[in-house]
Amino acid sequence: MRGRALAIRSTPLRLTAIFLGIFILSSAASFAAAYLIIRANFDATLEDEIEQMIESYDAIDKQDALVNRLKDDVEVTDAELTILHYQPDRGAIIANVDGLPPVSDFSIIGEKAIDEGEHDISDSYLAKSERVGQGQLTVAKTRVQVVEMGEIILSVVLIGLLPTILLASIAGMFAARTARRRIDTIQKTLGELTGGQMTARVPVGKDDRDDLTTISTAVNAMASSQEALIASMRQVSTDIAHDLKTPIQRVAVILDEITRKTALSEGQTDLLEQALTETDRIVKTFQALLQLAQIEGGAVRDRFGPTDLQEVAADVVDFLEPDADEKGYHLDLTIADAAPYLVNGDRHLLTQVLANLIENGLRHTPIGSTIRVRLARSGTSVVLSVSDNGPGIPLGKHDKVLRRLYRLEQSRTTEGNGLGLSLVAAICTLHGAQLSLDDNTPGLLVRVVFPQVVEA
Amino acid sequence: MKILVIEDDKKTGAYIADGLREEGHSVDLIANGAEGLVQASIGYYDVLIVDRMLPGVDGISLVKTLRGAKNRTPVLFLTALGGVDDRIEGLNSGGDDYLVKPFAFGELSARIAALGRRPQMQDEPTVLTAADLEMNLLTRKVKRAGQPIDLLPREFSLLEHLLRRKGRVQTRTMLMEAVWDIHFDPMTNVVDTHISRLRRKVDKPFATEIIETVRGSGYRIDAE
Repeated sequence: MRGRALAIRSTPLRLTAIFLGIFILSSAASFAAAYLIIRANFDATLEDEIEQMIESYDAIDKQDALVNRLKDDVEVTDAELTILHYQPDRGAIIANVDGLPPVSDFSIIGEKAIDEGEHDISDSYLAKSERVGQGQLTVAKTRVQVVEMGEIILSVVLIGLLPTILLASIAGMFAARTARRRIDTIQKTLGELTGGQMTARVPVGKDDRDDLTTISTAVNAMASSQEALIASMRQVSTDIAHDLKTPIQRVAVILDEITRKTALSEGQTDLLEQALTETDRIVKTFQALLQLAQIEGGAVRDRFGPTDLQEVAADVVDFLEPDADEKGYHLDLTIADAAPYLVNGDRHLLTQVLANLIENGLRHTPIGSTIRVRLARSGTSVVLSVSDNGPGIPLGKHDKVLRRLYRLEQSRTTEGNGLGLSLVAAICTLHGAQLSLDDNTPGLLVRVVFPQVVEA
Repeated sequence: MKILVIEDDKKTGAYIADGLREEGHSVDLIANGAEGLVQASIGYYDVLIVDRMLPGVDGISLVKTLRGAKNRTPVLFLTALGGVDDRIEGLNSGGDDYLVKPFAFGELSARIAALGRRPQMQDEPTVLTAADLEMNLLTRKVKRAGQPIDLLPREFSLLEHLLRRKGRVQTRTMLMEAVWDIHFDPMTNVVDTHISRLRRKVDKPFATEIIETVRGSGYRIDAE
């Protein structure tokens, strides 16, 4: 699990907690109600018994007979069940305990308030005192049944309810986790789809038929139609590029023939040179579009092997440095340590990624800027970064520059076709590498995080 | 040289054939893969120029069949496809070089010359020379007119590549592929900068230039 905050935010978990809470509250309430009703019943029965006893003594007219009867009864009455206490106006107390606090109407007396003498008494009594004959009679009956009933109910709660709660919690947690896991899968798939991995799908079992399955199926259907749409769009651009290549080749041929076979004036030669340069640019754009289509097709992956990014970086920087230097830029390579930086990939494509990123930096920064290439390790990853101290890319545009043919307003006039970063992005995706653009304050920081290959 | 061009696009085919004839080669042009295969097998050619996409038999199968029949004639593939895979597939099938359309004639001509005069398996020389320049491959020392010249490793490779192909034009693309193993077009003239740095050390302090610029094509070291 990924921490408490997340667990609370998980809908299934929260629902489980809420239902469990309601269940516990309602169970507790019904047990409490049952206890109260039963107790009230017991107390009413006790009150009747006490009334009857007092009445039976009250029915005896003569004081002597009453006293004799009470003396007999006190002998045989177990104080643990019933306490009799008669205080005649004159003479000794007749009772089966030594002392009893004064009571009037029905009241509950605890064990501690009673001076039990040598008698056994119970925890709690219901008592009433009334004037009978020439004296005060108090009758107290044990409430042990009521107390026991409370204990029984408590045990019922403990023995019965607790395991239920425990079981319900476990079942709820399990259900919540299962749902959470499935939601996570859907979320992960959506993330992959957003990241451009159009083949990502939510796994759906054949027999599953619930709301999450419905959502998963819907997500998959959406992804499929998106994938088809993108594929057809790609096909169209590839087809166009293919179809236009032959006519462009012919234009190039014609232009070349003119230069070689016709006597030309100075101005005409210049114009022809320009025309050739432009055809060359068209060709390069098509080339890049076709290469993009091929990389996104993924077949190149068959050629992947362990490639040392350190060699790639050294070669590319070695290749581009003199030109950058000549133009007044600083190109600087930092490699964290000397051990190989092995990633699984294609050397030529990785070379192109770095070359494109450096050229991108050279193209979009003013003369005198510094382009830094860094190679470092982070955990099990290899991090290749290219940063500059130029004007950078406005924050909201970071995603857009990765789109094919997209160019920022400020770069419309510079060289390039708006495919360089798209190619970089496509090659990164092909290599399972994470490409990110950040603000270098000032400038642009491009990071490519590759999974490192451990040498066998 | 005797060259066979197998190309189905008439305009491109004629352009290649005419251009090569002007350079003094003898050229046959065939527009169909099956016929091309027959012609390539029976005629003795120094170089074959084969379009990858052909009616009848496609370029790859054609070259595979030829190689299967122990025909070792050097093959230059032409293609409208420009991806990494295409190049590798072309070279794996037995092609010797690969050129993406559209191309400048100079590039084609330079590559044909390279294929036609592939270095024969002679004794590996230990010293390469041009005019008063001397490159010792064992000690990796370069001298011109007796003065030692200090070169960076990559400058040494670049000079060595040109010296080994004395008299033949090397295009920027060829140099990039051979010296840096880079197979895509950088937007800037990076190779020119490398050459001009090399020249600063090799040519500038001396009276004559050894490295020659061939306009519209590339660079060459003259074979005396």
